[in-house]
Amino acid sequence: MRRRPGIGGLQTAAAARDQYRLLGENVAKLRTDLMKEQLATFRSQLEEFARKHKNDIRKNPAFRAQFHEMCAKIGVDPLASNKGFWAELLGIGDFYYELGLQIVDICLATRAHNGGLINLQELCSLLRQRRKSDREAVSEDDCLRALSKLKVLGSGYEVISVGKKKLVRSVPTELNKDHNAILELAQAQGFVTMDEVERRLNWTSGRAIDALDTLLEEGLAMIDDGHRDGKRRYWFPCVSSISSSIVIDS
Amino acid sequence: MQKLGDFKLPQFFNYPPYFTLQPVRDTRDKQVKLWKELILEYCRTEKIFVIGLEEDFPLFSNPVIERSLGHEAKEAFLSFLVSEGRAEWLDKGHRRCLILWHRIEDWADIIIHFVKDNGLEDSVMTVEEMRSGIESRGTELHGMDRTILMRALKLLEHKGKLAIFKGTSTDDEGVKFSL
Repeated sequence: MRRRPGIGGLQTAAAARDQYRLLGENVAKLRTDLMKEQLATFRSQLEEFARKHKNDIRKNPAFRAQFHEMCAKIGVDPLASNKGFWAELLGIGDFYYELGLQIVDICLATRAHNGGLINLQELCSLLRQRRKSDREAVSEDDCLRALSKLKVLGSGYEVISVGKKKLVRSVPTELNKDHNAILELAQAQGFVTMDEVERRLNWTSGRAIDALDTLLEEGLAMIDDGHRDGKRRYWFPCVSSISSSIVIDS
Repeated sequence: MQKLGDFKLPQFFNYPPYFTLQPVRDTRDKQVKLWKELILEYCRTEKIFVIGLEEDFPLFSNPVIERSLGHEAKEAFLSFLVSEGRAEWLDKGHRRCLILWHRIEDWADIIIHFVKDNGLEDSVMTVEEMRSGIESRGTELHGMDRTILMRALKLLEHKGKLAIFKGTSTDDEGVKFSL
């Protein structure tokens, strides 16, 4: 643009700037509208999908997990609120709140036995036992989802990974690396001996004694002096397969 | 589930550490409670009244996992029963233990029911008859421990429901009900 002197020139320049801005705004608005429209279509499609497969979502745990995954990818959380459209449509919120409650119940009932640390698999099977009257199956994925909802309450329910297994912790015990290493070692047979800990983890006996004593104190381990070889065994109810004997009355 | 005769054993019975007295208090409390329930339930089912600590007792060892209770553990579990009023030591050395799967008061109630059911409100019976007579057949009184029966009868005597007297024959005692 040729620079023109004087007031008239300045005014023309300002007018041109305004024109550009207006045009820019128009384009932006057009884009947002388009985007909104797309999102609305998308949402209605998702709703349509959810409505269509409502029963599958409710009854089939694998399908449910996939649906959750899909929702997560596009930033929709069907569990965000119990009042939202999703909850009303699927009744899915209630499902997880109920699961959460039952999980809390099971954790409390088995705490005396396992010290507040329970194998996720065992938790699931206890959950299934308990819900056997319900037709809807419960998967580990559902357990994890329900547990993640419990976090909101700040009640300290946490899922920790030890070796290949997942454990659910319902007490505020802090497990350090050493404790985790022992729990992982115990997964093979359900117990460890002092010797084993020292040898397999390459620890000094002081370190092994220290870690095992803490686990005993926390109620996560039990001693067994009854084996023929006379070596004390440390059993961990949270990892061993003999499931807890506590019958939970509903 | 493992069984002992007709008795269903709980799952903890197959978990080896439950056969070693636990050093940590909370864990031991739980262990002792589980054993208490098991002992009472087993004795009730099998009608066992006395446990001798030095004799073999099927509940105190599990051959499947090769574990058995040591003397200290047995005494700890039974002592807990005693402290809860569900057992009594029969000697100072704690070698024999009387198991009260019904408390003495409950046994007394059972006697009262038995007397009423059989219309014996004003009758006389010997103690031996109550334990092994025709009337008590099929009731919980049949074959019950004499020590416990006498304790329950004395409790009832104290309440004025009956009178115990020495019988004419050798050493059996008689009971006169007055309900």
